[in-house]
Amino acid sequence: MARSAAAVLSIGMLHSNQRRRRGFILVAMSVSMLLLMAVMGLAFDLGRIYIARNEAQVFTDAAAMAAAANLDGTPVGVGRAREAVARVPIRWNLGTREFTGVVVEFSKDGTQWTTEPDGGVTLVRVTAPANSVEITFLRAVGGPATFTVPAHSVAASNPVRLTE
Amino acid sequence: MRSERGHAMLELAVSAAVMISFLAGTFQFGYTFHVYNQLVTAVGNGGRYAAMRTYRAATPQDVEKGKAAIRNMVVYGDARPAPDAAPVVPNLKPEQVDVQWVMDGTGSPSGVAVSISNYTVDAVFKAFPFHGRPGVEFPYVGRYSPSENEP
Repeated sequence: MARSAAAVLSIGMLHSNQRRRRGFILVAMSVSMLLLMAVMGLAFDLGRIYIARNEAQVFTDAAAMAAAANLDGTPVGVGRAREAVARVPIRWNLGTREFTGVVVEFSKDGTQWTTEPDGGVTLVRVTAPANSVEITFLRAVGGPATFTVPAHSVAASNPVRLTE
Repeated sequence: MRSERGHAMLELAVSAAVMISFLAGTFQFGYTFHVYNQLVTAVGNGGRYAAMRTYRAATPQDVEKGKAAIRNMVVYGDARPAPDAAPVVPNLKPEQVDVQWVMDGTGSPSGVAVSISNYTVDAVFKAFPFHGRPGVEFPYVGRYSPSENEP
């Protein structure tokens, strides 16, 4: 049976409406998924970044104090300070990962820092530079693959105290 | 028309279930991480305080008083909190803070370990228990006074 022109026209419009609606749902889904990823990233990834930053700060504080407690103005004391930093048991990434690449520097006056002092130092600076948090959700909305949260602390000896 | 309406209802039900579970998961982890971060700050403060505090050990009660002050520093941010002081982390109590002195061969304190024990984060949809985490260990750099009493 032949279709009337009006019927053909109305079927054509229906198809085009459906196609338009399908296109709209695709765009809406994509946008809402991106927004969802961004919200999850803010909660999950930023949460982990803040925790890592805090853990790193606590570690460098403890390590700087441990190092400063061993400084006695001699190269032997400097060696003991380095060993004390290596023994600090605090971990990061929710307490699961050891700190790596920790830098221990010494100074007499707080302006010139060196890793190999010749003695007479009273200040120690501990830096934890390599704490890279893997980004899970923010990567989907253009964020980086990893985010590094370095921390450093300075402690003085005799009496031992944190100065920075 | 009726089948189209049924499709829309089904789509809404499925997408709402997915969205709600995603949002619930996001809230759960976001809130738990937030509380964990507060706990890390709290034990860090307690560790720093314990490391520099005078260790008075005339009697076992004095050592216990010292530990109580450290616990208060973790929970309230103050070694001698006011009676109506609020904890810095929701529902954290002093008895959920573990303080352990590390002694050297001569019996003097060489370090102090502060950690959280038996604390549960209630994230509405799920509860996350923490035992032994977060924890810190600081070297002891304070004054050791074996014959002094706690004030």
